[in-house]
Parts: sequence; C-alpha cells; structure tokens
Amino acid sequence: MGDDRRSVKETYDRIADHFSKTREYPWPEIEGFVSDVDDVGVGLDLGCGNGRHLSVLAGVADRVVGVDASRPLLDEARERTASDPDVALVQGDAASIPLAASTVDVAVYIATLHHLPERKMRRRSLDELARVLSPGGRALVSAWSTEHDRFDATEGFDTTVDWTLPGGEVVPRFYHIYSPAEFEADLDASGLAVESVRVSSGNCYAEVTVD
Amino acid sequence: MKEDLMDIICCPLDKHDLDLEVDERDDGEILSGTLVCTECGESYPIEDGIPNLLPPDMRDEAPA
Repeated sequence: MGDDRRSVKETYDRIADHFSKTREYPWPEIEGFVSDVDDVGVGLDLGCGNGRHLSVLAGVADRVVGVDASRPLLDEARERTASDPDVALVQGDAASIPLAASTVDVAVYIATLHHLPERKMRRRSLDELARVLSPGGRALVSAWSTEHDRFDATEGFDTTVDWTLPGGEVVPRFYHIYSPAEFEADLDASGLAVESVRVSSGNCYAEVTVD
Repeated sequence: MKEDLMDIICCPLDKHDLDLEVDERDDGEILSGTLVCTECGESYPIEDGIPNLLPPDMRDEAPA
C-alpha cells in the first residue's frame, strides 16, 4: 500500500522539473469554481503539484495551503508563489491529510485522486477531504475520465501513462481512469455531499460540500 | 514554514496536535526543526522550510 503510493511520489520526484514546465496555467474549470466563492479564511490545494492553482485560491482565501507528496514539485510551487506571503506548503499524502478537522473553507483536489492506486485509498482520500472541510465549506474534485477522447472504455480501469523526459527517458505514471458513474459512486460513498457532477475536457468534475 | 501553520497542521496518522521544535529560524520563517505528535510521538522533519508530514511509510528513507 505505502509502496504503491511511494511509487507515484517517486515518479513525480523524477519528472517534476519537466512536468512543471508543461503546467504553466490554471485550468478554466478551477478559475470558474473559485470565482464563485466568497472571501474565506483557509484555502487548500490538495495535490498542488507545481502550485499553478495556489494564487487562484489566494484571490479568495486569507491563507492558502498547498499539499503534495512530491518535494521537488513543492520546490517548484515555492518558486512560483515566492511573492505571496499567504501561501504555505506542506509535504503530505492525499489519503492521510495532515490538516486538522474542519479547518478548510475552500479546496481544490484536481487531477490527483486518479493517482491513488487502490479504490480503498481513493475513497479514504475523499473521506479525508470531508474531514478537513469546515461545515458549509466547498471543494472541487477532478479526475481523468473514460470520456476522454484517448480512451475507448466505458468502465473505469487502471493504466499507466508514460511521461517522456526531454532526454528521451520514459517514466510510467499510474492512473485510475474513472467512468463518470464510478466517480459519482466513490463520492457518494464518502463523507462529502455532492452538489453537482459533470464531465469537461475529458475530466470528471464534482462540486462538493459537507453539512 | 511560518509558525501560524501550527493552527491547522496535525499528525497525518492520528490527527492529534503537533509540538514544534525549532532548530533554525530566519525572520518569521522556520527553516528546520521537528514536529512531534503529542499523542503517538511520531516525529516529522521540517526540511529547508517545508514540513514533511508524509506518513512515515511514504518517506524516502523508509525501507521499500
């Protein structure tokens, strides 16, 4: 279990520099979600990667925490947010979030859930997100979907997607590709209350809250 | 990390509060130190300003 999650972390440790260069801009889906949020206390980016969504969150939250398992990616995020004193970075696991209960008012959990190798862990991470959200807090969750043009399957499946470094070295990355139905089922099984679910640009998105 | 982060971080294993031991501080930034769980006693390093709160079995130095 731990070994599998370590391997995803190690993958991103290896490709962080190149990966970061290809992830310059926030996704419009995230900017849209955050723009609907009134000013809040604490924002969380779970699986923040190189931090491209941290400043989007900092626009509506007094302080923002970026959590990622990969230290090299956090170093990229630190460089990117160096001028923003309200951003804090924490190395942590999405299935064992190192934040106290009910501390987060708005969260984004983007393109990260699909890297957790077992369904049990994916569901646990959704429960963890529910735990850290404050009552009435809101989150946007996304995962890669079978609806994406590159996939033919209709059922969710595990796969590896290669990352090719500039020198030609190929690094495999684990993904669980979600069918929209399975994505909804995992959310429904968690402590999160689902407000809406949709597919956009080949990704499943859900807006969620906790009571 | 800044000290006010202590308000929201916790032990990833049992979610209890952490005690902060500072080794090196620069202007309001804690550069190195240790976070120790007040319940289970597990300790987590602050490395070059970023706390490593990965569960111990996901740390680099953990045996594979």
